[in-house]
Amino acid sequence: MLSRIADSLFWLNRYMERNDCLVRVIRTNYILSFDSDQLTDFAWKDVIAIFSHEPDAATLYGENAATSLKYLVADTKNLNSVKSLVTKARENARGVQDYITKEVWEQVNQLYHIVNGPGVEGKITGSNSMELIDRLDQNSILFYGVIDSTMPRGHGWQFLNLGKFIERCILTIENIYAHSLKMDHRLDTARDILFWRHLLLSLSGYELYLKTYPRDQYTLSVIEYVIFNKNFPRSLIYSLHRIKRYLNEITAHTKIEGSVTLEKQLGRICSKVDFADMDTIKEEGLPQFLDSLRNDLSEFSKQLTRIYFSYA
Amino acid sequence: MAGELFMNQGITFTVYSDDAGIEKIFPFDIIPRILTGAEWDHIEQGIKQRLRALNLFLKDIYSEQNILKDKVIPAELVASCPQYTREVFGIQVPHDLYVHISGIDLIRSQDGTFYILEDNLRTPSGVSYMLENREVTKKIFPGMLSNSRARMINNYPLLLHDILVSLAPQQLSNPTVALLTPGVYNSAYFEHTFLARQMGIPLVEGRDLLVDNHKVYMKTTAGLQQLHVIYRRIDDDYLDPLVFRPESALGVPGLMSAYRKGNIAIVNAVGNGVADDKAVYAYVPDMIKYYLNEETILPNVPTYSLENADVRQHVFDNIEKMVIKRTNQSGGYGMVMGNIASPEELIGIKSAILETPREFIAQPIIKLSTVPCFIDGKLQPRHVDLRPYALCGPDGIRVVPGGLTRVALREGSLVVNSSQGGGSKDTWVVDL
Repeated sequence: MLSRIADSLFWLNRYMERNDCLVRVIRTNYILSFDSDQLTDFAWKDVIAIFSHEPDAATLYGENAATSLKYLVADTKNLNSVKSLVTKARENARGVQDYITKEVWEQVNQLYHIVNGPGVEGKITGSNSMELIDRLDQNSILFYGVIDSTMPRGHGWQFLNLGKFIERCILTIENIYAHSLKMDHRLDTARDILFWRHLLLSLSGYELYLKTYPRDQYTLSVIEYVIFNKNFPRSLIYSLHRIKRYLNEITAHTKIEGSVTLEKQLGRICSKVDFADMDTIKEEGLPQFLDSLRNDLSEFSKQLTRIYFSYA
Repeated sequence: MAGELFMNQGITFTVYSDDAGIEKIFPFDIIPRILTGAEWDHIEQGIKQRLRALNLFLKDIYSEQNILKDKVIPAELVASCPQYTREVFGIQVPHDLYVHISGIDLIRSQDGTFYILEDNLRTPSGVSYMLENREVTKKIFPGMLSNSRARMINNYPLLLHDILVSLAPQQLSNPTVALLTPGVYNSAYFEHTFLARQMGIPLVEGRDLLVDNHKVYMKTTAGLQQLHVIYRRIDDDYLDPLVFRPESALGVPGLMSAYRKGNIAIVNAVGNGVADDKAVYAYVPDMIKYYLNEETILPNVPTYSLENADVRQHVFDNIEKMVIKRTNQSGGYGMVMGNIASPEELIGIKSAILETPREFIAQPIIKLSTVPCFIDGKLQPRHVDLRPYALCGPDGIRVVPGGLTRVALREGSLVVNSSQGGGSKDTWVVDL
């Protein structure tokens, strides 16, 4: 397949995955912020800190729900607002319209028209903001459904999924990091489930957690869950193994220069998580562990771009 | 309902005069335009004749130039045509075909005669609207279409694909064909994706291609893949920065060298602009006589070239009955209608003509015929033109029965171009 198309598919899904996560975090934070006696001290400025590229955005816009929502959803100055992400996803989709199915294109368009519709800023800051957030949420879920049920498998599918899971992995890292920062990265801090609920709902893994883990030592078991649980589709280990699977499928058919190096590079990243456990993480330090993983992934993504997408 | 169908599918075009290129929906009128089988057969014969002559003209003008030597067309007219491309002189194209795809514009005057308005032989657009219009009509009037036995148009992409494959330079069982687009910001990008999808060929941009050792390759995730036929929707000027405009980022450096070597077929051929130049247009009936020894079936609109002082004076005296067009522009850009232009516009255009008369032609304003349209909840007459699409392959010429009927949506307006606020209709050729 054309390198440019592979590139666009990869980024289409990266942006959509980021959007999906952003909307879910917004929704979680919005709902939880109504509980007056909440034990989570997670606030809008922390959400902005995860998603913004501007260092002082959190202090500038994070004061209250209205300014934060406007900044996170409808502000085009924010490169990671819903509006910016959907617009960029659509641009990527537009360039590969002949490759993606009509259904996928229409679904991306649908989201685009929701965030670009008249009065979006008013809707998101008004009393019915939940309605808009829910619509965004449902439509990003629909996007995955449409992709899954209409896109042909094969090369394009593999690049789509590489984008999706690389992004997902990075987002899970960012979310864990932001919550761990709230307790100064001290894993021996006891935190209630009402604190961790925020992270679990943001990664849509709350119920699975409740079903799987004992109700004590929340801090350690939540961290273990979001990193190591193989049945949780947003855990690091799950995402990494999906990346590995799709990369292997690509390299099995197209041996080109550099592909073996790329496989080895990914193998090293995977084994870093595969052969770690909570003890080694405590020893290394959670932020150090997450940082090195994030750096390795972004280096991997760069190499992938160089080997498969270098058409310009 | 029709509006919704088009909105959801994103069938759009881009208007350049608005800031930063705005996507707009191409307005669609639901009442189909009807042509009788007999009317159509006449049009079809006329278009086939014209295309045969134009193909021979292009072959001649880029090789022997007999038509100039025999003084049928003045040599200075061709020499002064900016679209005459010296770079392709002497290049042999497969099957001697230059105009593979054409969208010749016809108008019908109020007495019912069809005239040729202009020959679009470079990268005519709009065929996707023709096909999509028919699909929408099928949904709105499901029974009527089959009951009236309108002739079928929807195999156009398949015919086009067959022709593209047949042009592959070497005898290959499975040549690689691609559609070259300027990219997402082009006004007809929707059409490019539509056609690529309907033909099942890759849609490539200039940056996807490279030329190595006079061969053209696509950059893919599995390395380089050789390309044999390009259906390009990029103007000649932008095709190859080494030969044409050096600043073009849309083209492929070295493409013309591969073309000259015969390693790549380009559709339509490079240099066709000389044949649909608005000043050369006036000589097409002479070409038909010269190459085919036939009488012209479909007449031209009378055209005044403005280099002769007497003719120019005649045009200036009757300017309120004339339309002035620039010879090198299309899409309704740079056109002045004498009957509605302001006095300042007329003075401006006159002085522009005096400066460079070769760049302008004048034609009497033809009262276009009208057809009924459904506007604001009632039927109203609107002026229309007709663009039938013709495909020339090694096995002959096929004209798709019908074509795109463009409508001037503003009451009384005679300008149908989509970029100037026109719309379109489905066109049925019905055998009575």
